[in-house]
Amino acid sequence: MTMMTAAWKRIRMALFAAMALVACTGTALAQEFEKVDNIPRQEIPAGRFVSIAYGIIWLAVLAYVVMVAAGLKRVNQEIADVKRQLGPKG
Amino acid sequence: MRSLGTGFWVAVALAAVGFLVVPSLILQSPIEPNMGFVQKIFYFHVPCAIMMFLSTFVCAGGSIAYLFRGSERGDRLAVAAAELGVLFGVCTLTTGPLWGRKAWGVWWQWDARLTTSLLLFLMLVAYLLARRYGGPAGRKLAAALSLFAAINVPLVYKSVDIWRTVHPKTTVVTTLDARMRIAFWSSFLLITLVWTVLLIIRMRLERARADLAALRLDAEDELAEGRP
Repeated sequence: MTMMTAAWKRIRMALFAAMALVACTGTALAQEFEKVDNIPRQEIPAGRFVSIAYGIIWLAVLAYVVMVAAGLKRVNQEIADVKRQLGPKG
Repeated sequence: MRSLGTGFWVAVALAAVGFLVVPSLILQSPIEPNMGFVQKIFYFHVPCAIMMFLSTFVCAGGSIAYLFRGSERGDRLAVAAAELGVLFGVCTLTTGPLWGRKAWGVWWQWDARLTTSLLLFLMLVAYLLARRYGGPAGRKLAAALSLFAAINVPLVYKSVDIWRTVHPKTTVVTTLDARMRIAFWSSFLLITLVWTVLLIIRMRLERARADLAALRLDAEDELAEGRP
């Protein structure tokens, strides 16, 4: 009786292993690359990208120059105001 | 108002000439066979990245002078350079993905070069934030932070040689074709001139702010003396 149970357990284990193997192989096969012909190729316009990159740099520089120039103008104006407040000694 | 000097105006004139000449040199340079026309982004992407590195080193140099000698001029140089580091960091980190999208098929890759570059950019942003919102100790805190940013620069540069990355290696510039080399170095010169001009005007703004602060102190003193 005990021997029968042990044999049955082994058979059950073997069955489970076989099922797991089949499942894994099936999944692997399902994940294989499939060749598809005549797919439209995605064309990225390189010229536009180069122009955008160049434009970004000069826009950033220009924005920075405007920012610094505005800051400089404001500070110079404030200096003139304070000097006026200080009078001839300032 | 102090005069900006002849050197400044010569640099402005050269930068203006370069702005017109360099794009034609880049267009005339040969097309790279693997990446095609999009490789031309390289001619201004790399100089921008170098300017980000240079800005970080200048910022760290100025910060050292400020931290150890109390140099106000060093501090002014540091903040001007940090801002330029952020500016050229923006240029590098936006032109790079445009190139990557075409060359690699993706806008961004978390590879060593891109990640360390982003980290360097964020450190420079942190420098400016610490100065602005760090309170009385903000300037010193920011100065210390700039030293860590400078340490990061060699790591960014060597990252492509140390780790496996999708980014081109450091040998790209030294192995350029003769006509590509002319386009690259002329673009580099132009961007360096622009960087120099921007540094001068930004330092000038910082100097004017310092003058204003000193004048306000004088005004307050005078007001205090005049009180009964």
